[in-house]
Amino acid sequence: MSISKIIKKITITILVFIMMLSLVGCGSNNMGSNESNDGEGEAKLVVVNWKDYGSDEQKVIEYFKEKYNCEIVHEYMASEEELLTKLRTGGVGKFDVILPNASILPVAIEEGLVEEVDTSKLENYKYIFEKFMTLPENKKGDMICAVPWVWGSTAIAYNTELVDEEIDSIHVLWDEKYKGMIAFRDDFNDAVMTAAIALGQDPANPSDLDAIKQKLIEQKPLNRTYWKTGDEFSKLFANKQIAVGMMWSGQAASMKQAGEPIEYVIPKEGAIGWVDYWAIVKDAPNKDLAYKFIDYMISKEFQEAWVKSGGPAPVNSEVANSLDEKTIKDMNIDEDSLNKLYFIAYHGEDVKKQWNELWQEVKAH
Amino acid sequence: MKKKVFLMSPAMFILFAFAIVPLFIMLYYSFLSDGAVAKFTLDNYKNFFSKGFYLKLTWKTIKMSIIVTIVCVFIAYPMAYIMAKVINKGKNILLLLIIIPFWTSQLVRAYSWLVFLRDGGVLAQILNTLGLISTTDMGILFTSKAAIIALVHIFFPYMVITIYMSLEKLDNSIIDASKSLGAKPIETFRRIILPLSRHGIITGSILVFVPCLGSFVEPRILGGVNGSVIGTVIEDQFFEIYGWNFGAAIAFILLAMVLLSMGGMSILLNKEK
Amino acid sequence: MLKKIFCWLYTAAVFTFLYAPIIVLMAMAFNESQYNALPFKFSMRWFETLSSNTKLIDATMNSIYLAAITGVICVILATALMLGNRETSNKIKALVNSAVVLPLTIPWLIMGLSLLLLLRALGLDRNFVMLLIGHVVVSLPYAVLIISARMQDMDKSVEEASYSLGANEWTTFYRIIFPMISPAMLAGGFMAFMISFDNFVLSYFLIPTGTTTLPIEIYSSIKFGFTPEINAISTIILVLSLIIISIIAAIMGSSLKNLVR
Repeated sequence: MSISKIIKKITITILVFIMMLSLVGCGSNNMGSNESNDGEGEAKLVVVNWKDYGSDEQKVIEYFKEKYNCEIVHEYMASEEELLTKLRTGGVGKFDVILPNASILPVAIEEGLVEEVDTSKLENYKYIFEKFMTLPENKKGDMICAVPWVWGSTAIAYNTELVDEEIDSIHVLWDEKYKGMIAFRDDFNDAVMTAAIALGQDPANPSDLDAIKQKLIEQKPLNRTYWKTGDEFSKLFANKQIAVGMMWSGQAASMKQAGEPIEYVIPKEGAIGWVDYWAIVKDAPNKDLAYKFIDYMISKEFQEAWVKSGGPAPVNSEVANSLDEKTIKDMNIDEDSLNKLYFIAYHGEDVKKQWNELWQEVKAH
Repeated sequence: MKKKVFLMSPAMFILFAFAIVPLFIMLYYSFLSDGAVAKFTLDNYKNFFSKGFYLKLTWKTIKMSIIVTIVCVFIAYPMAYIMAKVINKGKNILLLLIIIPFWTSQLVRAYSWLVFLRDGGVLAQILNTLGLISTTDMGILFTSKAAIIALVHIFFPYMVITIYMSLEKLDNSIIDASKSLGAKPIETFRRIILPLSRHGIITGSILVFVPCLGSFVEPRILGGVNGSVIGTVIEDQFFEIYGWNFGAAIAFILLAMVLLSMGGMSILLNKEK
Repeated sequence: MLKKIFCWLYTAAVFTFLYAPIIVLMAMAFNESQYNALPFKFSMRWFETLSSNTKLIDATMNSIYLAAITGVICVILATALMLGNRETSNKIKALVNSAVVLPLTIPWLIMGLSLLLLLRALGLDRNFVMLLIGHVVVSLPYAVLIISARMQDMDKSVEEASYSLGANEWTTFYRIIFPMISPAMLAGGFMAFMISFDNFVLSYFLIPTGTTTLPIEIYSSIKFGFTPEINAISTIILVLSLIIISIIAAIMGSSLKNLVR
């Protein structure tokens, strides 16, 4: 190759390289700029939560911007396990506040992914219901590692226009009368525990997994389909594809508020209960703001407004006491209902794997 | 020689460093046990092969992917032929029109199929109004048929493109020669056109079959209670429980199956040569 | 004559199938109900809520940006690779083929996860470069397949004639090869763009904290509420692409036809 050819070649290579670098550079500026702190000293609080689940409401964002000059940045999760994944792969030191529920909180605590919570820094902590302060999942020994926020149940919801009887038993999910109009939940925890309740076993410690597997296989053909995400259920329900289904209390309440003919009931045999906790991630960059955030989330102000607009049940006892009877009954947050609930707990990875495989087998049947 | 190396090395480097190395990482993880203490074990693989339902699910996934691929070939081939040989103007516009739907997200399209195919949905209402069916219950949604329809919809354009490209290169004079020698259109097709577009069909099939095997969005949303496929199992291992190592093992088994089937196909290809 | 009618009918049928869910998608963007319930009631509310949803708009911009860069890089790499591969030994050809097809056979889940672990092993944080590399790796095979299909049966004699007339390699490339394969390059680029734009899994694993892309946003909405704002933005993207394509087609109209022989 002659000199000129070589030079030409090199020039072109360099040009291409520069072009690529500038594109990449622009890209990083575009996308990386969110990372850097603005020079104005505005802080950023990174919160990991479900989408549209309270903490990303406009008024919360505005409140924090005004009061603390802090911008709340959300990162969303689509499943509990995903939250753990995010923490395990570089979340420590990056995220501030997260919302684990009882089934994964113990794992997070065990692996040292969350900080201990100094409850004296939370003004509103004392207003939390006794019951939630005593659940074991958020503690390591004597130390509290997470703050309960909202709770609810996963039970039966039905369409009052398509169902003319009053439902009160969990066996309605196995009722041939509603064949093709039922929607069971595609989640191994919910599935195993519900079947256990229906069989009279203890959902926290089922004695006969084979019977549970059989029961779930029996139930399978009665469904229109399984649902995994809240949105799938609402679409099925609103389009009259289903008459009966398993649902979360929180979403059932908001659907009712939105005008859907939905009725929610905790069956006499019992139902699954759950609690969502706020936890502070280990080495969180904005610990003080994190505390302020959590405090606001469990405050009467926030929880009352949220419940009234269709949020799940609050842990703040002041709120519960100020609600009227009807709302309490409607939302199934009365004493009676609470006692019928079997709260989701953590059982250890082996049990989780076992239940998951059981459910996979039912689905593959 | 130097030129070749210079041209090829960037792409090869990226492929090796970022596609092949991760494969070995995955292989390594598949031999670790899930759980608190990871130790070297064959359990992940043993577990997969010992439980009947995993194999059943794998077979179901393969069947589904084969059906999707075959349907794609049958729909795409005539379309590609028309675009390459019959139409003179506007080829590129057609091509682009075929590609455009792909700027909509897979997930959003899956949800649209829900509205379209469900009982009382758009399709049902149209057919009912036209008097073609008596009720508005279609019975398509939440069965594997719906998943297959959605998958074909996503993948057949790839097939159209690859077959189109190989038909496009086909010299018309060969076809004309065959005709002038007295061959009937069917014979011309079978003996000249089809074999020469073989490359396009095979490539298209790979582009359809392989991702189909790993798909999990459409089967889960549209397939109803029988919507489990091997892709959903892998997905669950990463998003539902902390079973990454087992997930890696399943992924590797899937990979092995793909490589075997592709090896098989290339042997077929070479035989005919 | 019959043949022409059949061809038109067939094309119409295929395009109906192709665009049916797209039309439904767009219709739902204008439907009042947040649950996609029928009967259809016209409403612009989702476009209104969309205009204030800066997060979604940012996410879309990021997606487009990332996909565009990926597309360009893929085309350059793929063309270079295929040019170099033409005169290699069969062994090397086979090696290259396998290497290229490989990313297609790896579930994106695994790819994303492995690349993330690679980052950790190198002690790096998630960054845009790795995200881009991930996208390039999964999109590259598509670009290569399209471009190689075109290159495979390219007539060498024209090239050789060009050399024998005294043109150097670059001129030959620029004036002979490039025009012949440019439709394929364009198509390859579009493919790569498409793949990258819709890629959720890879982005999910590799995206730096605080930024997001459209598929991630959509996937995040699914737990509680996937409102038709998503349909609205998808509609906008679709319409914009149609407009851009039409403009390009109009401008390039005749010159494209000549290139395609």
